[in-house]
Amino acid sequence: MSQIKTGKFSIDELENVQITIGSVVGALEQEMDSEELDIGPSPCPGIKDLRNWDFNLLSRYEPVYTPVCDQCCYCTFGKCDLSKNKEGACGIDMSSHQAREFLLRVITGAAAHSAHGRHLLHYLIEKYGPDHPIDVGASNLKTPIIQLVTGMKPETIGDLQKALEYVEEQLTQLLATIQVGQEGAALDFESKALHGGMIDHVGMEVSDVAQISCLGMPKAEENTGYAELGMGCIDSEKPMVLTIGHNVSAVTHIMDYIGDHGLEDEVELGGLCCTSIDMSRYKSEGAHDSKSKVIGPIAKELKFIRSGVPDVIVVDEQCVRADVLREAKELHMPVIATNEKIMYGLRDRSDDDVEDIVSDLVSGKEPGALLLDFDKVGEVATRVAMEVAPIRSENNMTALPSDDEFNELINSCVHCQLCENTCPTNLPISDAFRLAEEGDMSGLVDLHDPCVGCGKCETVCPKDIPILNTIEKSSQQAIREEKGKIRVGRGQISDPEIREEGVNLVLGTTPGIVAMVGCSNYAEGTQDIYKIADEMLQRNYIVVVSGCAAMDLGMYKNKDGETLYEKYPGKFTKGNLLNVGSCVSNSHIASTAIKVAAIFAQRKISGNYEEVADYIMNRIGATGLAWGAYSQKASAIASGCNRLGIPVIVGPHGSKYRRALIGRPYAEDKWNVYDARNGDVIPIASVPEFLLTTAGTVEEVMPMIAKNCIRPSDNNMGRMIKLTHYIELSKKYLGVLPEDWHNFVRSEQDLPLAKRDELLNILEKEHGWEIDWDKKKIISGPSMKFDVSVQPTNLERLCKGQEV
Amino acid sequence: MVDATKNTVITTTWGTTNARPVQPAVVAKVIKKAKRPLLITGGDVLDEDILKRAVEIGKKGIQIAATGNSMTGFVDEESVFAKYINAHSLALYLSDSGWKGLDGHGNYDLIVALGHKKYYINQVLSGVRNFTKLKSISIERNYIQNATMSFGKLNKETHLKALDELIDNL
Ligand code: SF4
Ligand code: SF4
Ligand code: SF4
Repeated sequence: MSQIKTGKFSIDELENVQITIGSVVGALEQEMDSEELDIGPSPCPGIKDLRNWDFNLLSRYEPVYTPVCDQCCYCTFGKCDLSKNKEGACGIDMSSHQAREFLLRVITGAAAHSAHGRHLLHYLIEKYGPDHPIDVGASNLKTPIIQLVTGMKPETIGDLQKALEYVEEQLTQLLATIQVGQEGAALDFESKALHGGMIDHVGMEVSDVAQISCLGMPKAEENTGYAELGMGCIDSEKPMVLTIGHNVSAVTHIMDYIGDHGLEDEVELGGLCCTSIDMSRYKSEGAHDSKSKVIGPIAKELKFIRSGVPDVIVVDEQCVRADVLREAKELHMPVIATNEKIMYGLRDRSDDDVEDIVSDLVSGKEPGALLLDFDKVGEVATRVAMEVAPIRSENNMTALPSDDEFNELINSCVHCQLCENTCPTNLPISDAFRLAEEGDMSGLVDLHDPCVGCGKCETVCPKDIPILNTIEKSSQQAIREEKGKIRVGRGQISDPEIREEGVNLVLGTTPGIVAMVGCSNYAEGTQDIYKIADEMLQRNYIVVVSGCAAMDLGMYKNKDGETLYEKYPGKFTKGNLLNVGSCVSNSHIASTAIKVAAIFAQRKISGNYEEVADYIMNRIGATGLAWGAYSQKASAIASGCNRLGIPVIVGPHGSKYRRALIGRPYAEDKWNVYDARNGDVIPIASVPEFLLTTAGTVEEVMPMIAKNCIRPSDNNMGRMIKLTHYIELSKKYLGVLPEDWHNFVRSEQDLPLAKRDELLNILEKEHGWEIDWDKKKIISGPSMKFDVSVQPTNLERLCKGQEV
Repeated sequence: MVDATKNTVITTTWGTTNARPVQPAVVAKVIKKAKRPLLITGGDVLDEDILKRAVEIGKKGIQIAATGNSMTGFVDEESVFAKYINAHSLALYLSDSGWKGLDGHGNYDLIVALGHKKYYINQVLSGVRNFTKLKSISIERNYIQNATMSFGKLNKETHLKALDELIDNL
């Protein structure tokens, strides 16, 4: 058998020969061979290949375990009580089991993203062909994460399959280690979790790059259009198609059907969760406003379904409630499942005639259909919505109580507080009912926003009060006013933007990047995220958002009636607010840091993970904030950031991820780096102080972000700017000067100008530093010296004189 | 005397052990017996009525680890020793015998929680319970299962009375 190399070839005069091309063998490998000199030491790393880097991180950032369950029930030896770090019957102890549990979360999330990518690739390759070029906008580094991790440089969407194959193999290997009788050391489980996080980012990048390249989504655009946002923006008079999930492929057919048939003004199309974000990106290239509406995150699912507004629900995958069909059935809202991951036991109608399916759904003969033929999805969803809407409207199909029913429900509460005990956020439901009994609805209205719409309270109420419905009924006015705007997701940050901004980031004159990502399981409510973003933007941080956080941010307006998206422009530069897109677009946030290393610092990228992560950790002041993180995917995203040296803060609910990675600032021996110029060991300030941790309140988070954007490479101006924000935010939100501010001072030039005298005074009086008051100079005191040319690294091998 | 041990309903469980319901006078006794007790406050301590009582406890010479944004409540209280610290970091430091504490004099032998989100302090205490020998007491309005001892789920009035009784006995 002869192997055909890549390139053009022709076969003349062949008859009765069937040629099947699976994939062109070796195309990427050949490319990698030809560029071997450019490939770093770890292309396509296996589980062990970056273990030294992980151990390096884990020696400073210790795993802190806060078990959600003391028991293990993984095998039939058990269940085993592991409390007090006891060993189970298989010999695993509590720490290792918690690490294993965390790993399982991470790879579950990574599998969700990469299976999403696999599904998209199948779909897009079939529709556009494997040779469809990758196009993400003004970028030479089109797939920074794939290139960094695997060494591959995919040019077409077909090429992305190789990267995904690598991801799939790694995920299988990692999943295998969860099996009883495999890994026994907590630290190795942790290294595996970081590996899983890195793999997740590859999967996310595959997904988003593929859809950006094929679906007319904005390509690294600064000025994308807007989409209407919020429950209040839906016109309930029109037939409505509601989409839920994360995978936009099926839904694009609904959008096309509506467009092709000129039904834009007749049918309302809106979505929940990331599908809706990707709907707003579909064909929005070139600053076009979105044709569809974004209703909100998962917290709105039950609330919106029960409102009765949707006429048909189309689900795809991820973050879709398991009870959608049950709830929808009650309200004669047909459900169309479009993805094998969620089929709800529905009959597969993919091969059936459209007329039959429409008729069965409209008549209510069947509550829904599994429909994997997307062309049919487009027609069926639209037609069913239009035909079912008048029937539903005539029968006033809503789960919300009438006024009389509402009063009756309120008065039936016996204030047993079982609901509060069950509510994941422990909301004061009983007190709210007490107020409502007296005619004051404010307590219930106040619950609407922090309530995550889970419905758990209802499952325990001895009086069978549909508690969520009463909250929603009393909040109708607030819901009508939930009208915001979201800037359409832009995709990657372009190379020219990085070129311009890289220097400010590395020197610290842009105080930092705050990446606000993740879901809507907030501490207090959706406004949390708005408050943080507004404060940091006013202080010139670059705020990058994605997914549900990007939605919730746009729900609020300032006194001039502007959302933050309208107030702050969307370029990658200080004081700008950038929406990269959906959950899988999170890859572009990590890839931005990689691009800074590549473009600004000219670091080799391909297969050079450790060196680039080391660069990012020591030089790029970026902090992730997944304030409402709830899913396994969020733990995967965070772990991927962590392996790259980017710290992540999660909200208080994030403590239920059961492990954090936290440093001890008082352990001085942990806070050293090498100076790559000569291999000298030099002390650094204890930042980032953690790789993954929680904060209790929004106010606590703000100074935390500012502090953890400080990096060893800051120049004096940069350090001064960062320190100013740290001190000001601590004073503003915690009422005090931070305890450790002096640890970040290397010379008097690091001190905020306006406060220099006051701070020098404190340094002298409280910390015993020697000050030359004539020259206003620090003579002695700081544990670190500032040297503009120092090259901080955690990797001894990168030091001059060491073998590379 | 209030009964602070009512309503210890459990809806989900972390494992085989749950906090022992405790009365205020007993809490006072345990705190008095401790060599280095630490009151850990969370953002909900800023409720005016609760804050007043937290300050009173602080005035009895008990150090305060002010987590979340609870530090704002103690800024002007000169006779109270309070310092900001992150709750999750604190969980790590408490497990380290080498930690010098908030005052530089060493780790603590008892922790008392007030003003936290129920789910958050339960997680922090889950870490403490499984990986340290430290005893913890919750004097929250909610029953906190992962503490060694805890008040039950109380209404606001009973909770304030319970705190007053505790302070009187300190
Ligand atoms: S895996 Fe180990 S700890 Fe878990 S149930 Fe089996 S024997 Fe017990
Ligand atoms: S569970 Fe039902 S009866 Fe009990 S307080 Fe809650 S709403 Fe009232
Ligand atoms: S539906 Fe809302 S109030 Fe009810 S348990 Fe869930 S979050 Fe709490």
